[in-house]
Amino acid sequence: MAYVDDTNTRCAADAAAKFVSWYYNQINEAKGISQSYVTNNETYKNAGHPPADICVNGLVCATPEDWEKLLAQQRDAPKAATDKKHVRYLVDTYDTHVINADYRFGATQNLIDLHGVNDGVRMMIMINVSGTVYFGVSMGNYDEYAVKQHFNDVFILVPNWDTLGKGSKYGKKFLIASQTYRAY
Amino acid sequence: MAPPSGPRGGGNRRPTARTSRGGVSKHRAAVRTDRDGDVSMGGPTPGSNPPTGPSGRGNRGRGASRGSRTSSRLAQNLKSYVEGAAGHGSRYAKTTLKILGIKNSKAASNPDGGVKSLLEFIERKADKDKKIILGRGTLEGDYVWVKANKDDVASIMRLNGYSYAGAPITIEETTEPFPTGSKVSKEAADTRQKLIAVLAKRYNAEQKLLDLSALGTDDILGNLGTFGSQSLAEKSFKALMHLAGTQYKTAEERKDGIQSVSLARNEISDVDQVFTLAYSLPQLRRLDLSNNKLDSLSKISKWKHEFRWLEELYLVGNPLTSLTGYATEITQWFPCLQVLDGNVVRTPQEAAEALKAMTPNPLPQLPSNLRDGENNVASIFLRAFFQLYDHDRPALAAQFYDADSVFSLTATPEPGREVDWKSYLKYSRNIQKLGGSRNPAVVQRLFTGASLIAEMWKSLPATRHATLDQPELWLIDCHTFPHLADPSGHGFAMGLMINVHGQFEEADTTEDLFGTRTFSRSFILGPSKAGAPHPYRVISDQLTLHKWKRQAAVTPAVPAVAVAPTAPVAVGVPVLDEATKAQLIQELSRRTGMNAQYSELCLSGTANWNFDLALKSFEEQKANLPPAAFTASA
Repeated sequence: MAYVDDTNTRCAADAAAKFVSWYYNQINEAKGISQSYVTNNETYKNAGHPPADICVNGLVCATPEDWEKLLAQQRDAPKAATDKKHVRYLVDTYDTHVINADYRFGATQNLIDLHGVNDGVRMMIMINVSGTVYFGVSMGNYDEYAVKQHFNDVFILVPNWDTLGKGSKYGKKFLIASQTYRAY
Repeated sequence: MAPPSGPRGGGNRRPTARTSRGGVSKHRAAVRTDRDGDVSMGGPTPGSNPPTGPSGRGNRGRGASRGSRTSSRLAQNLKSYVEGAAGHGSRYAKTTLKILGIKNSKAASNPDGGVKSLLEFIERKADKDKKIILGRGTLEGDYVWVKANKDDVASIMRLNGYSYAGAPITIEETTEPFPTGSKVSKEAADTRQKLIAVLAKRYNAEQKLLDLSALGTDDILGNLGTFGSQSLAEKSFKALMHLAGTQYKTAEERKDGIQSVSLARNEISDVDQVFTLAYSLPQLRRLDLSNNKLDSLSKISKWKHEFRWLEELYLVGNPLTSLTGYATEITQWFPCLQVLDGNVVRTPQEAAEALKAMTPNPLPQLPSNLRDGENNVASIFLRAFFQLYDHDRPALAAQFYDADSVFSLTATPEPGREVDWKSYLKYSRNIQKLGGSRNPAVVQRLFTGASLIAEMWKSLPATRHATLDQPELWLIDCHTFPHLADPSGHGFAMGLMINVHGQFEEADTTEDLFGTRTFSRSFILGPSKAGAPHPYRVISDQLTLHKWKRQAAVTPAVPAVAVAPTAPVAVGVPVLDEATKAQLIQELSRRTGMNAQYSELCLSGTANWNFDLALKSFEEQKANLPPAAFTASA
């Protein structure tokens, strides 16, 4: 029986944990997320990678910035009484699968030699996140005021080569190549 | 092996001869004897069998069994899961136990009356092979009450008659209700009754008004002495509000029950003193704060973000009403406010708009977005997939999955309703809940390879998915993406990401549960290896079960079918390949007892390869079928 190497499985779980906590924190705090899409990564752009596929409630966003605009539109509550977050994403569950353990698009030969197939680095991974999104908030008792929806986000992440070479800069180890979002 | 541990070495010899120190010595006798007390078999139950209890630990030290291969561990894990599904029906069932004897033990002088050490003692002694965890114990009279898993009760009951800290203990199972942890003293219960009486007296059912004006002059409250000091008065108000809020079962009933509150003539100088009103009755529509001592806007601003549906507010008789512009400010704070001090400040339409401006707006919902290339791979795949998943999971795994396919599921039950999710929770690979990659379950609950996946699917409840011809029940998004590994080992291949939201009927026969579940399921499809039955295979299959129903408003006003991308799903004959058809024929034949020829006729006729329809038409036509239609054995 073939089996997925434990290292890859565990590294993918760690990467998912980091990514999920970072991503939802960013959108809850109304901070930018567009830099973590392949669309805005020079290495991927130069290698000819197509823009990240972002599909929000059935609507295709051409760029990550369009998605940020939608998020801003969703947050928009001009007369909201508080400075608090008006839209909050709370993650209930997430899971991840390695879908290509030998990802090499856009990588230099050095990087391919440096990270083996079972090292848990050169992976394309799929992350499936579900949770609750709260619209509206009060000082204390949110639930009475908030509209609640279920959301489901499916990401495909690919390695960020800029941070994986020897002596390369710090930063996110994965970039978003695809995102499919639904909230209902 | 372990060295013989004291008198226990004698196997089945009865220890009746040793009465003074019955002979079961602790396996770590040198330490912690005082807290735990001695163990002895003597006294009350001399005839009971010697326990096979915690003698020699043997060599089963940590790490001894490490290093087994992942694959075999996965297989073993799966096996125990499957067996567990059949055998342990009572995993969540709890039993209440009553333990007598702690009062006479030496541990009774411990700060907690010895409860903790007694429970630790039982957890340690009850079963040497299995870790037993008891609930939190409560000391009530002479008994310690504790909840335990039903499965563990047998081993715990073996300790009946053991001696704990110098005194014999008696354990019994009971159906009496567990004593509540927080004991309400008689005085407290009395006060509660009086406060409820105050509420009842001051509640006007006709006007749905809770009149809490001039509380300082209330007879009952005066006798209780609740307004003796400022802090006491605030506490009393909190208690009153809490009681008012909890008199209703649901938020809806509460909203209807109490629509108005009067706090007039209470010498309130800051709403902080009565802030809890906002928590207890957040959906209040009319509030009277007249004739208090509020002297500035800041004294009321703590309520700025509350009472979102407040329509009428009275502040007359407060010093702040002499401030200029206070009305404008207050109007802004409460979006639905229409009447302030008897003056109309907003029309209902304006109120609705103000409320809308105050709350964010969920993004619009568009129908399914299918971008799966020219061959409608997603539509064809999903049709075959859900039909086979409902009717023949092994065939499904064999057709679309290979040795590298991975499957996992996550389940997010409603809090407190975990029982309904039992069949899924033991597989749930919610990495957030598992606490990250260090938890072995992250590896164990990932099912790799068609055979393992098929095996695992067997233990999941039977399902019936709605047909894809009802697009209003489904949300399907899919798109192609590049750079999957090509199975030939060279170059890249295109992949297809499919994300499905839908629902299915479920029949969980092991738990006797039937109902509808909502789910999200995402697939990654990629090209097959040589020799596979289909040109594409499932690389990854991830199922999420959740409690959310799609709200009706989500369904777009425009019928989903009319939108171009969904057309491939909604129209046409389902395209089934020969292998799938053969499976369907076989399944129908098995279920109905018809032979293959008639099964095929039945399926290819009006049923149009819809298994359910075929089955239905069989039931209708059953009486008219000739004997030749059935297989010899039927």
